[in-house]
Amino acid sequence: MTTFNTIKQVMSDVFDIDINDISEDSSPDNIEKWDSLFHIKLIIALEVELDIQLTPEDTMDMLSVKLIKIIIEEKMK
Amino acid sequence: MLRDIKTPADYARDFRKIKQSNVDLKDINIAYLSSYTSEILEPYICVELAQYNFLAQHYFAPFNQFEQEVFDKNSLLYKHNPDIIIIHNMLEDMHPNLVVRFSSYSQSELCKIVKNMVSRYESILKAVRENSNSIIICINFSAINFQTNELVHSLTMHKKNNYIHELNIKILSLCSSISSCYSLDYASIISQVGLSNWIDQKLYLMAKIPFSQHGQIALGRSIARMIHSVKNQPSKCLVFDLDNTIWSGVIGEDGISGIQISDSYPGNSFKNLQRTILKLYDHGVLLAVASKNNINDALEVFRNHSDCLIKEKHLSAMEINWNDKATSIQKIAKKLNIGLDSIVFFDDNPVERNLVSTYLPEVKIIAVPTSHMFYSDALNNSGYFDIISITEDDKNRTKMLKQNLNRDELKDNSRDLSSFLSSLNIKVNVDFVTDATISRVVQLVNKTNQFNLTTQRYSEAEIKNFIELGHIVLYLQTSDRFGDSGISGVSIIKNNNNIWLIDSFLLSCRVLGKKIETAFLCEIISIVKSKSAIKLQGQYRPTLKNDITSSFYKNHGFKMINKKTNTWDYDLSSVPKNIDYIKINKINK
Repeated sequence: MTTFNTIKQVMSDVFDIDINDISEDSSPDNIEKWDSLFHIKLIIALEVELDIQLTPEDTMDMLSVKLIKIIIEEKMK
Repeated sequence: MLRDIKTPADYARDFRKIKQSNVDLKDINIAYLSSYTSEILEPYICVELAQYNFLAQHYFAPFNQFEQEVFDKNSLLYKHNPDIIIIHNMLEDMHPNLVVRFSSYSQSELCKIVKNMVSRYESILKAVRENSNSIIICINFSAINFQTNELVHSLTMHKKNNYIHELNIKILSLCSSISSCYSLDYASIISQVGLSNWIDQKLYLMAKIPFSQHGQIALGRSIARMIHSVKNQPSKCLVFDLDNTIWSGVIGEDGISGIQISDSYPGNSFKNLQRTILKLYDHGVLLAVASKNNINDALEVFRNHSDCLIKEKHLSAMEINWNDKATSIQKIAKKLNIGLDSIVFFDDNPVERNLVSTYLPEVKIIAVPTSHMFYSDALNNSGYFDIISITEDDKNRTKMLKQNLNRDELKDNSRDLSSFLSSLNIKVNVDFVTDATISRVVQLVNKTNQFNLTTQRYSEAEIKNFIELGHIVLYLQTSDRFGDSGISGVSIIKNNNNIWLIDSFLLSCRVLGKKIETAFLCEIISIVKSKSAIKLQGQYRPTLKNDITSSFYKNHGFKMINKKTNTWDYDLSSVPKNIDYIKINKINK
């Protein structure tokens, strides 16, 4: 699975939404459940699934799926 | 690095599935009152509780405002109508300086802090009790979040640890004074995961979550198990097997000096399991044995093996015979006058476990791991005997029940096992012994005691000589859907002018009870027929161990022709009755 697909799969499970409803433009503005608590749930799940460590600053910058993808791909280089 | 079997994403996925599924789970309302972001625990508690057939609905009181909710009769907390209320505060939230700057407090200040904390808890618990009938689970305190590995004057450290310990004891006795209120020990949950894996500073500092993902999983699991043991009665009786379960080896084959229970590997692993079983006895659990063995062999171990910690006095029932285990467990249940649903079964053999779960689905079956190293853990972690309080009555229950035993001998319930046996897909392979198979054959010939018609012992050279002389030496190999049992039977048939005599006929005890011996005999009959035999005869030589084979020839249509030598004759014109569920791989005669 590509990194982007893993991100989408994890988001789908954590937010309990259809994977096809997730795009690069998805953000707390258009995913209802995406509040600060669910943001932390998402971060915990992504760290374990992708075997990465995110700093508090990384997590604060992850304001959309597009940004999550960029930051994680940078980490995995 | 610690690895959990399931990741947070797995829990999120299972949580989703549980919410969408139509499986009939029992609703349970849980309210969580805490000083941290306890919402993070929801999927973990929910997924773990689903294993115990509960569907959890959570209510999380806004953090650090829960006292308002507790004291207000009309609060959302009580509107949620909780079955369980969990109270969990971090020590540092109660007193931010206490843990880190413990040395700065005087003795009298410390006493005052404890007093205040206990009275704060007392008023909370009493208010909850007045306003709700729910079960209260109070998770106690630990200094974990500020535990350091610096070297400090040991007295200072002991003083601090002792202080928290005393606080926890006061909380425990407070809980005991309030009905349906239980204390759950936080430090033991932390110790399962370990200090260095418990805290995730990012989660703690950013989100006020005082534990890592490993901690979330462990805490969720412990809470679920606690809820399960509070809501359900613990099981009453443990039924266990003997051979390769509470000792290593097979008593009927290896004898008292051959089985292993000891203080060194591997006997120590079995001795540990025996200790764990006896711990259950101490807690009032009834112990019973269901084993396929000769009773006297087993009794000899209980009476004369110094390392066998389990003795007859600990056992409320013994079914040591050749019945199937489902029948044995039913007899035990009747004897002890308990329901099948309060019985837990522990057996190393997956075939026996499968049989019991097929016929007696109410019986709880421990998923015994392949390695005996983990037997004791499997029993401890099953949760079936979790008890949240032990009373003197519990300790005496075993004795009381034992005295009230109805000792009427119960009629044998003969059970039609063929449907179970046919589901096993038993395959039998009979073939002439070769160089590749002879060493195992010699081993079986010299080791097998129970299912052995004549108990003739032969060396490898002797067996090779039989083959040269034109006698038949056969081995039998079996497999079923649980796996391959390998070479597990041998027969030697000697030819004397076309009068064939079954000189040896034996089966390893691990394949008994499936009528494999009948299939083996049928194959022998067909082989000697193809050799234009005039007669086929068999002999039975009784020993102390081979009683199960005493009626073998009689049951298979042989007629006794010499009582003194116990010799039997088979009418070769008759067609032997084969076992329809066993597939025999015919050999080239």
